[in-house]
Amino acid sequence: MRISTPNFHNLIKNPLAIIIPLLAISLLLLFLPLKLSNQIKAACVTPIRPLQWATCFCSNSASNFFDKIISPWRDAQAKKQLEEQIAQLTNKIIEQQDTIYKLQNKLSMLSKFQIENKNVKTSVIPADIIGFDTSNFRKSITINAGSKQGVKVNNIVVSNNTLIGRIITVGSGSSVVQLITDPASRIPGRILQTREQVIVEGNATAFCQLKYIPRWAKLKEGDDIVSSDIGGLYPPSLPIGAVMQNEIKGGALFRSVKVLPTVNISKIESVLVLTN
Amino acid sequence: MRWFTFFCILICISAFQSTMIKWITIGSAVPDLYFSLVVFYSFLTDIKRNTITNWFTGLSKDLLSEGSLGVNSIFFVAIGLLIWSIRGILYKGHLITQVLITFIFSVIYNIFYAAYVAVSFRSLNLLPTLWAIFVCSLYTAVIIPVLFRILGKFQPNQRLFSVGDR
Repeated sequence: MRISTPNFHNLIKNPLAIIIPLLAISLLLLFLPLKLSNQIKAACVTPIRPLQWATCFCSNSASNFFDKIISPWRDAQAKKQLEEQIAQLTNKIIEQQDTIYKLQNKLSMLSKFQIENKNVKTSVIPADIIGFDTSNFRKSITINAGSKQGVKVNNIVVSNNTLIGRIITVGSGSSVVQLITDPASRIPGRILQTREQVIVEGNATAFCQLKYIPRWAKLKEGDDIVSSDIGGLYPPSLPIGAVMQNEIKGGALFRSVKVLPTVNISKIESVLVLTN
Repeated sequence: MRWFTFFCILICISAFQSTMIKWITIGSAVPDLYFSLVVFYSFLTDIKRNTITNWFTGLSKDLLSEGSLGVNSIFFVAIGLLIWSIRGILYKGHLITQVLITFIFSVIYNIFYAAYVAVSFRSLNLLPTLWAIFVCSLYTAVIIPVLFRILGKFQPNQRLFSVGDR
């Protein structure tokens, strides 16, 4: 009696023989721990990073070139520098205001304890943005600084002295930054003027929203939001954004508050990574 | 179908989507070039190649996107199979068919993906999300004629809607 062994070629002819293993691999990847999944991503994407960097470099160069051609009557660079300076000064003012409010609170409580401001040494790594998230519903950027430069997971990323996100994946020469507008981002913050604690979360649009703001909270449009050191992940007093829309919907338990990030992330080209 | 060509196209699309997409972004409307590739190969190839190309397309999108690996590969394989299964009843190669199919399936894909994100993080708002889905799908559909023309040049020995290879 002859037993016919299944031929590999015949096996492959069956579409299910391809669909099922591929879906099984996808499911396996889907349920991998996030850390492992990020490591796989960093390893797989490393060969593409130079191409990404080159494309981004060409894109930015071409963009600058066209800018100069289209508006020859304006000194684009000078304007850009001035805008950056204004943004930096505005943020400095917000920081100073925050410090003043803090000090006022401390005085009003008649604290008898002397609090020493420990100078935490923070080293700063400059990096250029070399890529953006390919999904419409996630917000992250890729920067050209990685473990070689000393970047670590959970390092804070700022631009113009404003918080824009934190490092979630580190490769050897590049890292992925989860932006404050990403749906998975949750940042402890404070309303500068009223000192109320808030949670700033992303919602995959250009704006953020504040979570769990009680109906009776004193909030008005234009109020500044700064980061809070609660939880120990973020440094305090970094500007995040300003309240843009503040409303109470029907029978909702909490207020619906929309926040406009201080920095327009789609327009920046470089960031600073705070490594401590 | 040439696999080498496919992988070159995929790398180019990945590089473009992750770096230069802001050049063709209009407001909140961002075209999804990966999805166009899924529709193109679902029309073009047989079920096996369609599954493999869509899986690789989804995986490369996952690699360059924040979040878990494998989500887009599953969605793209499923969408690819859906398009492949109905392509026989479609009006062959007509421009409007290509645009409409892309728009409808892009809306379906984006709804599923948004639902996945909403379930995972509970932080999406309904109206802005629906608006984003609509404009992104519309933009993806609008660029289809140009993109299919370019992609068709790289796969010249295949024709769209070649039902014979089913």
